[in-house]
Amino acid sequence: MRARRLTGSLSCLVVLTLTAAGCGLSGGSDDSGGATAGGCSVDKGNVGSGKLTGDVKGRITFQTTNLKKDFGGYFNGVIAAFEKAHPDTTVKWIDDPGDSQFTQRLVADAQACTLPDVVNLNVNTSIALTKAGYLLDLDKKAPGSGESFGASMWKSSVFTDASGAKVHSAYPWYSGGIAQTFNVDLMKKAGLDPAKPATTILGMFDDALKIAKVSDGKYYATVANPIWRIPADWQQMGVKVLSDDGKSFTFADDPKTVAWVEAMTRMYQAGAMPKDSLSSNQDASTLYAQGKLVYGSTNPNYLRFIQQNNPSVYKKTGVARYMLDDLGHTVGAPQYISVAATSKNAPTALSFAQFLTNAENQLAWAKDPNVVIFPSTTASLDDPFFQSVKGTDPFSEARKIVAEDRKTATADEIALSPGELNAITAQVQLAMQGKKSAADALKEAQSKADELLKQGS
Amino acid sequence: MTAVRTMPDGEAPPTAPAAPGAPAPQSPGRMRRALKAVTPGPTPDAGGAAIYRRWWLPWLWMLPAIVGAAAFGVFPFLNTLVLSFTDAKPLGGAAGFVGLDNYTRMLGDSDFWLATRNSVLYAVIVVPLMVILPLFLAVLVEKNLPGIGFFRSAFYTPVLASSVVVGLSWQWLLADQGLVNTWLEKTHIIKGAIPFLSDSWLILLSAMGLTLWKGLGWYMIFYLAALGNVPKELHEAASVDGAGAVRRFWHITVPGVRTSMMLVGTLTGIGSLRVFTEIYMLGGSTGGPGGADRTLPFYIRDVGLDPLSGNAGYGAAVSVALFVLTLGLTLLAQRLTKENES
Repeated sequence: MRARRLTGSLSCLVVLTLTAAGCGLSGGSDDSGGATAGGCSVDKGNVGSGKLTGDVKGRITFQTTNLKKDFGGYFNGVIAAFEKAHPDTTVKWIDDPGDSQFTQRLVADAQACTLPDVVNLNVNTSIALTKAGYLLDLDKKAPGSGESFGASMWKSSVFTDASGAKVHSAYPWYSGGIAQTFNVDLMKKAGLDPAKPATTILGMFDDALKIAKVSDGKYYATVANPIWRIPADWQQMGVKVLSDDGKSFTFADDPKTVAWVEAMTRMYQAGAMPKDSLSSNQDASTLYAQGKLVYGSTNPNYLRFIQQNNPSVYKKTGVARYMLDDLGHTVGAPQYISVAATSKNAPTALSFAQFLTNAENQLAWAKDPNVVIFPSTTASLDDPFFQSVKGTDPFSEARKIVAEDRKTATADEIALSPGELNAITAQVQLAMQGKKSAADALKEAQSKADELLKQGS
Repeated sequence: MTAVRTMPDGEAPPTAPAAPGAPAPQSPGRMRRALKAVTPGPTPDAGGAAIYRRWWLPWLWMLPAIVGAAAFGVFPFLNTLVLSFTDAKPLGGAAGFVGLDNYTRMLGDSDFWLATRNSVLYAVIVVPLMVILPLFLAVLVEKNLPGIGFFRSAFYTPVLASSVVVGLSWQWLLADQGLVNTWLEKTHIIKGAIPFLSDSWLILLSAMGLTLWKGLGWYMIFYLAALGNVPKELHEAASVDGAGAVRRFWHITVPGVRTSMMLVGTLTGIGSLRVFTEIYMLGGSTGGPGGADRTLPFYIRDVGLDPLSGNAGYGAAVSVALFVLTLGLTLLAQRLTKENES
């Protein structure tokens, strides 16, 4: 009796296992010969060659990342205008909080074939979703639709698809720029001249050591977690982070990276950074707003956070051009807007994505006084609003500096996967604690990152 | 002609005391078959409770639960098992069969063993404390004294708070210039700040503290319910015999709630092997400096879920290892329970 029961159970297990295998690992084309994208059955028009055609009507979902709280008015206006221009459409707006689980949620949505029709992505998620075939190929489905974007911006939205081909699978949207922000009073207290901020990364680290000498733990130069600086600092210093073919990391081979880790270690050991921030998830914003940091976040948009949370610190905030270092210009990938290849209403989704990213709508948002963002469309950047910025408050200063930088900035930002970034950061943390030499830590970091790179390819 | 009262299929005939000397009553199955030969199916006059006696009815009531368990329990588990023998990517696509490669890699992976050590340590330290401390709390708040409701609610509040909010509060408490260090320095107990958030061991211990603090109220409720079942007479008799409070606790209260203690032990054992948020909140996205505080779920996220560089196959293999560890702990708890009962 027991044997029969066991046989029955095993049979059920085998059947269920095979079913699981069939469902979990299928990919390519479905049995009926229908079109598939990323393992999901989709409308034939969404994949393959040929321009996407169809009526702009019906209901679509549109997902942004953490924008509803501050910009609800703007987005509701854009949606209302789109629905007015296309009376048979409805756009349902959802806003992801953009926390640490954002990528995981997006992956789960993609696997379940339920990606939002129009979705706001960062460079990492754009790469991953393009590679897995979940995004509409704009070169084939909307040829010529990238002409309104700045050349470097449009170039930045080229990603590798499942077949290894380079395709545009996203429209470049806004970018925030990068600038130095600092507490003028604390800088003076440390004997530094706010009018002459550092122009190189290691120069700023030297200033941080001066701050540590006089601050006596009452305030700090910046936060310790290297996760906020990798790989941006290295790229700015002219370090070759990735090999030309993109198949292996090369950062550990450059003496400049070793010097960078050694300088980070010196700063940490000297007390230029709070010891408890070595692996903390909090960036500089919170401590800066409390008046405990000399250097704030390099994202000018966080100035709004400071203005709202501590107006007295905001008044003391100075803004300067970012340290251009060896690279000579700033880099920064924009945010992207993509259309899901799994959309049941792709013509409407594509139309909305184009409407949202057109010059007029991007400019309208960039003119919001509470934000420092720059549109990806050439026509918007030519607007006098960006050409002659007025005002001397930190926000206006930041807008002025970043607008000037836009003339030379590129979008060639190196994107590390979260796993690669964590693996590299973990090793640098050990070096900063004095548990490893800079060279050993970097060597180990490169080896682990290479392993992950190989695993993901 | 005598009218024959027909029975709907599956309905048992009305039972009546058998007359002495009458043939033995037929079994319900035989009776049903006999009746079925006469009547092909239910007749319109069959009704009442009969309709609730169909053989498939219990299955129908259980169907939602069975479907739920199969869809969200059995299927994902089996899928994970299958995935562990492949090199599947988190975003799907073609996956190749790699045999035992993932398991071989796992055995030689020092990061896996570090995560396993942390998870096991978590269980070894947290489970005994989580079994004992809520019992003390429950005994403290058991009696209906004036204002005791406030304390019961206060102890239960951390259970209701979100893990992220609790994690942020603990970050603030344990920071170098946080409440704990400041107080210890002001009272001259320590001279320099204790590195709760930058030392790997202290991060792990702090995370355990957070788990304990958040779980105490929940398991206190378990024990409060169990304490209600301990006969008061035993306490009274022991008091009359001169047993003190401590003696009564160990010899009456603890044996009285032993079954609940085993349940709490099993539940916290499983829970402590699944810890992620506490480590993430106190140790950051690397899982502490150098990733030294990563637990198995943390490691699974790192190796298996990254859409760009993750390997869902390897992540699944580590998940199977976590399952085996959890199963082992549960079986151990069950054996201990049986030994105690015998």
